[in-house]
Amino acid sequence: MPRISYKPSTSHWLFPPMIMGILVFLMVIMLIQRAIKCKKQGKPFFNFKNYHFFVANWDKVRLPGSLLLLLLYIPAMNFMGFLPASIIFIFLFNVLFVGIAQLASIPVAFKTKKFWSNPDFRSLLISLIISVVSSTLIWFLFGTVFKITLP
Amino acid sequence: MEVFTFGITQLVMSFIGVVIGIVFGALPGMTATMAIAIFLPLTYAYDLTTSLFLLLGLYVGGISGGLIPAILINIPGTPSSICTGFDGFPMAKRGEGLRALRIGITASLFGGLISLACLWFFTPPLAKVAINFSAIEKFLIILFALTIIAALSKGAMIKGIFAGFLGVLIALIGQFADNNKMRMVPDLLKVDLRMGFQLLPVLIGLFALVQIFQEAETGMKEEHQKMDLNHETRGFSFKDFNGQWFNVLRSGLIGTFVGVLPGVGGSAASLLSYSQAKSMSKHPEKFGTGIVDGLVASEGSNNGLTGGALIPLLSLGIPGDSTTAVLIGAFMLQGIQVGPLFITNNPDIWKTILVAMGIANLFMFIVMFYPIKHIVKVINFPKTRIYPVIILLCTVGSYATQNGNMFDVWAMIFFGLVGYVLWKFGFSIPSFLIGFILGDDLEKYFVDSIKGAGGNLGTFFSRPIGNVIWVLILISLVYAFYDEYKTKKKTRKEKT
Repeated sequence: MPRISYKPSTSHWLFPPMIMGILVFLMVIMLIQRAIKCKKQGKPFFNFKNYHFFVANWDKVRLPGSLLLLLLYIPAMNFMGFLPASIIFIFLFNVLFVGIAQLASIPVAFKTKKFWSNPDFRSLLISLIISVVSSTLIWFLFGTVFKITLP
Repeated sequence: MEVFTFGITQLVMSFIGVVIGIVFGALPGMTATMAIAIFLPLTYAYDLTTSLFLLLGLYVGGISGGLIPAILINIPGTPSSICTGFDGFPMAKRGEGLRALRIGITASLFGGLISLACLWFFTPPLAKVAINFSAIEKFLIILFALTIIAALSKGAMIKGIFAGFLGVLIALIGQFADNNKMRMVPDLLKVDLRMGFQLLPVLIGLFALVQIFQEAETGMKEEHQKMDLNHETRGFSFKDFNGQWFNVLRSGLIGTFVGVLPGVGGSAASLLSYSQAKSMSKHPEKFGTGIVDGLVASEGSNNGLTGGALIPLLSLGIPGDSTTAVLIGAFMLQGIQVGPLFITNNPDIWKTILVAMGIANLFMFIVMFYPIKHIVKVINFPKTRIYPVIILLCTVGSYATQNGNMFDVWAMIFFGLVGYVLWKFGFSIPSFLIGFILGDDLEKYFVDSIKGAGGNLGTFFSRPIGNVIWVLILISLVYAFYDEYKTKKKTRKEKT
């Protein structure tokens, strides 16, 4: 049976190369599988022209918007504290997910003085209520009652 | 002999523990482990009996609550409900949400009681088996768990195995316990990644954020979320369990057995049980489409884990999972040493644990089974309104993992993106996660085996129990190859 030389000083690099080796081996198998499949179907191995990472008609606002808000939420918590940052960002997430078109209702609602009866403005108000209630509730329950360390 | 006593205080504490545990389990990002960790300081104010009722209530409630988001929004509330959504979510989508929840709750009760019976009657022999496991058998058991990845990755076996080993590699990042040296960590992250990536941010990123990114990509359309829960297409009946009793028993026992093996954890119990139910089923192709068998297998096993995980804790002082690791703290606070002499020296506490577990399981059933209809109403909220709150909870949960570390929130987002890219290229996210969970122990037991054998690799074939596990690994792989061949053949036939 083969042997492995074990030295305590280098033992942290004993196992990772084995896993890396297995990953390389599996990658080679996947490439061979793809090559065989492409040959059978008469398709080129690299086909960047017809390749689409996202689904057809993907949402160009919600996907990048949610990632951007997530990335901004963390520094905002550091800068403003958990509660104000959460209220602002949970509101923004609500607006983003429901649809940013509703923002157009703000000037209309103020012009006509119809707030709750304007469905789009009502949606914005619901977003605000959700963000204030959920953030405050979580801040109170987890931060004050359960004493969990909050950002 | 003095018999331990418990009264209304202990029952109330158990009830509170179960309710809070369910809430924690149901909230993605919150777990039973976190619930126990938070309530641990309360044990200063109470005696050990009262504390155990509370903590075991939190444990059982936390494990059980995970089925709610798994079934309703396809995000496992806890790692142990990883497979619950595979069949629970399709059932909810076709208007059987209540039925799926009640099946899951009932399976959880039976799984918990089976596990309790095992804990009660078979602790000495089971513990003896576990005690006799050397690092070799532990390594092979984890390797066996990894081969199950192949069985789970239908039609994409190599990609499934690749994702699993990628998870293992990610788990190795950080400091190696044997020589305290770092590997695969850039200088910039040496402090944050000293202990590697934490499970909770990885889990939340892979399961919560990936789902949110997927939904955001397609515009968060509401057609799947709106369900008429007052007009369920099919309600729950105990007749749903006709033909499931063997599945319940097997899942409870698998959960218990996996719980006994230190460090293997709830997700492995759920995956192993689901995989077994699938491979032994007469209609494996229906798994993942919303059938009772898959749901029962996952929920029976994860509650089965609760009793099993206590066996190595109480007999060896080794926690069976992360939650029981926190439970050690409760014993330490009371000055009680868990280990081989625990049951002999503390028969009353041993009985308290058994009774507290039984009561917690019954409370879990009572608290969840009837009011579940009201909990289910959460599904009527538009997901465009639910997801922002989920993001908030995930952020809080990730941040609290190490008692306040913003790096874990960054890690959550990072693994959300990693999971999204893996999903885009057809790699299995559950496979990646199971590799990540088992990676650390896989390395530990491999190195321990090698050390013990002076570097001789033949040591992995030197023990009878080990050889039995090798046979199981071989059978599992042969089955996976056969299944892959059958699936591809069927796909080709369907195309022509």
